[in-house]
Formats: sequence, C-alpha cells, structure tokens
Amino acid sequence: MARHSRCALTIAAILFAGACNRGNEPAAPVSTGSARGGALTASIRSEPATFNRFAPNGNQAPVEAVSMLVHAPLVRINRVTGEPEPWLAERWSVSPDGRTFTLVLRGGVTFSDGTPFTSADVAFTFQALYDPTVESSLASGVMVQGKPLQVSTPDPRTVVITMPAPFAPGVAMLDNVPILPKHQLQAALDAKTFAKAWGITTPPGTMAGLGPFVISEYVAGQRMTLTRNLHYWRKDTAGTQLPYLDRLVMEFVSGGQDAEMLRLQAGSVDLMTQADVRPEDIAALRRLRDQGSVQLMEAGIGVDPNTLWFNLTPGNAAVKAKPYLQRAEFRRAISFAIDRDAIANTVYLGAAVPVYGPITPGNKTWYSPSAPTFPHDIARARSLLAGIGLSDRNGDGMLDDATGKPVGFSILAQRGTIRERTATMIQEQLRQIGIAVAVAALDVPALFGRFGAGDYESIYHGFQASALDPAMNLDLWLSGGSAHVWNTGAAAPWEKSMDALMQQQAAAPTLAERQRLLLEAERIFAENLPQIYFVAPRVTVALSRRVGGAVPVLLDPKVLWNADSLFVKH
Amino acid sequence: MGFLLRRGLAALLLVFAVASGALLLAQLAPGDYAAQFGKTPAQIAADRHRLGLDRPFGQQYAAWLKRSLTLDLGESFQYDQPVAALVRARAANTAVLAVTALIVATAVGIPWGVVTGSRNGAIARMLRALSLLVLSVPPLISSLALLTIAARTGWFPVSGMGGPRHLVVPTLALALPIAAMLERLQSQSIGDALDRPSTTAARARGIPESRVIWRHGWRQSLAPVLAVYGVIVGSLFSGSFAVEIVTSWPGLGLLMQQALMTRDTNLVAGCAVAGAAFLAAGILASDIMLAVTDPRMGIESMS
Repeated sequence: MARHSRCALTIAAILFAGACNRGNEPAAPVSTGSARGGALTASIRSEPATFNRFAPNGNQAPVEAVSMLVHAPLVRINRVTGEPEPWLAERWSVSPDGRTFTLVLRGGVTFSDGTPFTSADVAFTFQALYDPTVESSLASGVMVQGKPLQVSTPDPRTVVITMPAPFAPGVAMLDNVPILPKHQLQAALDAKTFAKAWGITTPPGTMAGLGPFVISEYVAGQRMTLTRNLHYWRKDTAGTQLPYLDRLVMEFVSGGQDAEMLRLQAGSVDLMTQADVRPEDIAALRRLRDQGSVQLMEAGIGVDPNTLWFNLTPGNAAVKAKPYLQRAEFRRAISFAIDRDAIANTVYLGAAVPVYGPITPGNKTWYSPSAPTFPHDIARARSLLAGIGLSDRNGDGMLDDATGKPVGFSILAQRGTIRERTATMIQEQLRQIGIAVAVAALDVPALFGRFGAGDYESIYHGFQASALDPAMNLDLWLSGGSAHVWNTGAAAPWEKSMDALMQQQAAAPTLAERQRLLLEAERIFAENLPQIYFVAPRVTVALSRRVGGAVPVLLDPKVLWNADSLFVKH
Repeated sequence: MGFLLRRGLAALLLVFAVASGALLLAQLAPGDYAAQFGKTPAQIAADRHRLGLDRPFGQQYAAWLKRSLTLDLGESFQYDQPVAALVRARAANTAVLAVTALIVATAVGIPWGVVTGSRNGAIARMLRALSLLVLSVPPLISSLALLTIAARTGWFPVSGMGGPRHLVVPTLALALPIAAMLERLQSQSIGDALDRPSTTAARARGIPESRVIWRHGWRQSLAPVLAVYGVIVGSLFSGSFAVEIVTSWPGLGLLMQQALMTRDTNLVAGCAVAGAAFLAAGILASDIMLAVTDPRMGIESMS
C-alpha cells in the first residue's frame, strides 16, 4: 500500500519516469470470518429509468448506483484515498509523454454468465460510449479537451489507451466507464438500438456484468433484488470470494427522505443509498444509536456545498434594471455580510462548517487553507456597497441605488429543503445591512425552467460532485461547462483567464504545480465571486446495526461504493 | 342498452376531458423535462428536440390526441417506456389497495351504521361520535398517524408494497374515512327505513327486532347508500393519491406525483386517463347497482 501511495501521490513520477508499473492489488478487505451470506436492504429514492448506464438517461443516480453494483471499470478510484487502483486491469504503464497507457487485464475473469472477459469487451465498450447514435450522457466525461480517448487492443489481455492531450488524472478517468459485455450488446450497437438496449423491461438475470452482483428481480415501483455474481473475481485476505452478501435488495422509497428515515427507524431498510442524514434527524438517530438499533458514521465535511449564484450572463433581461447585481463588489459585500456560523448553528444545527469557495476542507488533496476567505465583517460589507453607490438615501434603513430605488434581489430555491431554509436565513441577514431579498421557493423543474430561460436574479442550489479532482470537475470552472451556471453566454475576460489556468492545471505534470494553479484559479474566482459559498455540511451516514464492512465516503453512493465488502453483522 | 351506451359515452368523455386538462396543466407548469442543471444549453436543446418538446403545445396535443385514438399514450420521458405499460402496472397496484379499502370500508361502515341508526344506547352514541371524528380526519393525516403507530410499535411494515401485511397501513388510512362516511349514510337511512309503516307492520307481526332491522329495515335502506358508491370510488382514487405518497405504495398516485415532479407530460396524461377511467367505472357501476337494487329506478326509466 505504501508503494502504491508513493507511486500515485506524485503524478510527476508517472509522467517523467516514463513507466510506472502498477502491479499492486487493490487493498482486499480483511477477512471477516463467517460473515459470508445473508441479505441487506438499501432504500433508493427513485427507480432506475434504464439498466444501461450509457443510455441518454443513464446519468441518473439510481442508474449509476446499479451500474456500480453490476459492472466494473478497468481502474477504480478508491473513494477513501482518492487514488486510482487496479480493478479489471491488474497493472498499467505509462509512455514517457504521459499520454499513452498500456493496461494489462486481469486473467481468468469472466462475466456473470460465464463468458470470458477480454480486451474485445473493452474495445466494444468504448465504441458504444462514443457512438453518436447512442448519444451517451457519459461520453462527454470521458473526453480530454472535447476529444475521445483512442483505444486499441493488441492482444486479448492488453489495452492501449491514448489521451488526445496531456491529462493529469490519467487512468483515473476510466473509473467512470463500466465495461460491458460485447457478446450481449454488439448486435444492438450494430442495429443502432443500443441506446434502448437493457431498458427496465429487460428480463432480470439476462444482463451479464463484471461487478459483484447481478440483477435477479425487478418489480416496478417496489424493489430490485441483486444476487451474488458467482463469477466475481475479488477475494478477501483469507481467500473468501466476494461479495460477502448473498443478496442486496434495493427498495424504491418514493416518499422522500422522511419515508426513508421512517423505514430505517422501523428496521425495514439497512441503509439509504443516496441520502446522508439531515441535521434535523440527527437527534432522533442518536437516541436510536444509544439504544443500539442504528449506527451513525461520519464521512467528513461535504465536498459539494450549496451555493448562491447571480445571473451574470451578458445582456440578461432579469438584471438590466439592477446593474449592481453584476458588480463583483456587491457579491463580495454579500459574502462578508453573511454570518456563516449562524447558518451552521441555526439551519444545520451545528452539523456544518463555514466555507468560502467550491473546494471544501473535506477535499483533502485539493483544499488549501491559503484560499481566499470572507470572514463575517458588516463594516467591510457596508463600505464595499457604499463604494458602488449603494447607500440609504431616504433614511428608511434600507439601501437605495443611484436612482433612489431600493436595493434588493430575489433568490430562487428548491422548496421544502435545507436550501430554502438557508435562503431565508440569508434574507434575514441581508436585511440587516439594508438589502431586501425575496425568496421564491419552487419545485425542481420550475427552478430549472427559470434558470434555462435566464429568468432569475440569483439561485441558491447545489450540484452533486462526481469526483474530487478538479480536473475531473472542469464543468464548473470552464466557461461553457454544464456547471458553469452563472454565465451561459460569452465568457468575460476573467473567465477566460480561469479557463486557461484550469486547462493548464488539468495537464500539469506535478501535484504541487497543479495545486498552485488551482489556488490561482480560486483567487480569480474569489475576486469575481460568481458563486458565493456559505457552509458545507458534516456528512453523517446512518446504517442499521446489521451492516458490517461499511466505509462511508463523501461521494455518492456513500456506502454502496464498496458493496462487495459489506456483510451482515450477527 | 341505450342507457348503458349513453353512460359509456359520458364515461369516455370524462376520461378524455380529464386527460386533456392534465396535459394542459402539466404543460402550463413552469419548467420542462429536458431542462436540468448539469446540462449545457446545446444538450438541453437536443433533448427537447428528441422528446418533441420544442414543438408548439397545439402540435404536441394534436399528436397526443391522434395517438390516443389508437390507445397509444406515448412514451414516458423518464422511463423511456410506453406510458400504457407503466400505467397498467401501477393501476393494478392502486386497484388492489382501492378494492381492499372498499371491502374493509363496507364491512366496517355498513354494520357500524346499522348499529348507530337502529339503537340509541351509550355504545351507539359513542360509535356515532367516533364516526364523526374519523370522518373529519383527511386520509393524509390518518395515514401519517397510522404510520407513526406502525413505526413506533413495529406491528406492521411502515411503507412499500410486499405481502398482505404491507396493505394494513394504507388500507386503514384509506378505508376509515370512507367507513365513517358509509356509517353516516347507513345510519340515517336505516333510521328512516325503521320508521316506515312496513317495518312497524313487521314488528306488529311479532318478528324479532334484530330480524326487523337486518331483513326489513336494512334492505330498504340500501338504495341511498349504494347511490354514493360512485362518489366513493372517486374519493378512493383521490384519497389513495395522498396515502400512496405517504406510505410509498407504488400505485397511480405515486407515479403521477413523480410524473408531475419531473414534468413527464405523457405520463401525467396517462395517469389522468387511468384515474378518470377508475372514476367513470365507479359511477357506471353504482348506476347499475342502483338500478338493480331499487325496482323503481329500472334501467329503462334511468335512461
């Protein structure tokens, strides 16, 4: 493991040494004795729309969770260490220019239907992923600078992957690509029906995979049962074949998190696939923990905090009447005016920490204590506002702009969530410095609708992180990216500088250099502050007392990411 | 025959009107299925085009009408499956819940009403008060209360669909208010029936009171109770909407909620078709039952 970490910690070593052989096995779970067998039940809030991760609607959380249970990638990112580890590929080497990776596949691996796994399956997987008729939602995430990876297969156990441009995370990108069985899906790809293949009406048990489980039952609206893949290749330290569980039942619980909590408390589910514990539930769960019926585990500080962003798309109609909303000073004043501790203590009941930018302290490799902060400072906020001509002109205690109109804006937030409650708190705090905020609580499609139409002044919302490495989350940083929500139009000069920095960051050879470039990008971000961050929650996961082997992490699915090592405690 | 045909046509018209209304309302609600965060404007535009959401509503509606004439309700955006298949599976679950609740409501409500309508003791008064209490609690609240009891005691599964035990909480939540409604009607109507000269004559002939009540009074009191069964089926559906959401019962209500939340317009319309069909079938069935049980309301005279 030590050799492994050393090797991965400095990507320089990979790039400059020319060939870093990864022969180490991923850390196998320590044997749990007689833990094999039994079943656990996980709740999941919505049903998968398809079993095909590559389908246009295959990017939904339940599809991703099922794919993770049923399929396997060549290389997996260990969610605890954040490092890539050999998975279906047992080792790889890198060319001196750092762009070509030669992966050697694990021998003797077969799909769940007994068909041997070869490099032809890998070639087929990438062919399907990039096929324009498939319109895969996954494809854009497996490209470098918008170009696909080149895949060749010189022999049945060797795969050569060439990146179109230097890309520092390297093979970590492959974590996102489940390897599919060519023998089952080639015909659909040839017939251009791949996007519709493996829909939810496909008979369970007929879809082969390389993951720890196979889908054995699917009852629409109720549940999905996954049973052990008898051909799964992983073993624990004692040589016991994984997964430990005979079955994993996924119950569809559509009544929201209240319904999930109720079932967890009643003991009818063992874990919640997507849900971390809400602050308001912690007290009740602590009582249950003290009674011995649930376990509470801390995963760390959340890496995908909610954020307030203003509509900075040039020429948008919503803010023409309020030019001050386009001023960075205005947004910085808001950031200084907000008492983040008060939000953490009141809205999150103490289960959150103040944050000032998109990279939170939970992201150990990429968080920098030197990144700019905005400590609570009302005087500074007032002086920034006065500097752009916003002051109380009529003595009513509220600020007015140069034309004498009251200063204010509206925040759209998702109804009935902690986001709405936080927005209300922001509203109260900004009233104290004379800014009138209106909070409009909407359901998600209405929120998306207003956003899509550019019909908003500001939105308080959050995005689920899919990776910790910023080079794999470029959609936030790069103008034109799908998470670059504040400006969907032409990039401002500072955004162009940030684009250049982040492109450099994604290609830089050493970790230290990458960290330095990220910090520089964070400084540009904080100076212009297109998105204001307030708090990041402390992520707690609740499990029934029956769940063993859980290692909760910050990225979803927080518990099921290592489903092959979960077991039933007796 | 004319009666059945006319009622059948009215039922079809109801289904059509409700589905069109649902489609229009889902269309008018802000946002659409394609617009989501995490997608670029180009991806959103491509999805809108793929799903036909970029066409004017008139065109989308005309296409939906044309398809629905051949009983094709289109495809669900989120499930990528024919709406008809999704709705059929969920309607069956709703029907299981609704029929069970109807049986329980009838089995509890009718005798309850007969007792409270024909007696005047302390127990009857207590039962009347209980009925008023149950009647005044909407299914949403009763299902929450029952859920809390189930979760605290562990007597029954708190939610979801599985074995017969899973039926207990949603069935009771749905059936109790209807049982109370039946009790009120039955109580009133048996009171009236027992005051009629025919029952007085039966008593005069020395027939025991319990037989007077159940054989003579009850039969005469049935018509007004049966008349409301159509409405009850309608309220079963609307009640089951709330109960299904609270208890995660995978029926039409839950499916429609998901469809509305994601602006899956075809699925919204499909659920509305099924819901309206339930209501229309209920009204039709109660009309027929009424005609059969009350000789004065023959099928011919109703037409």
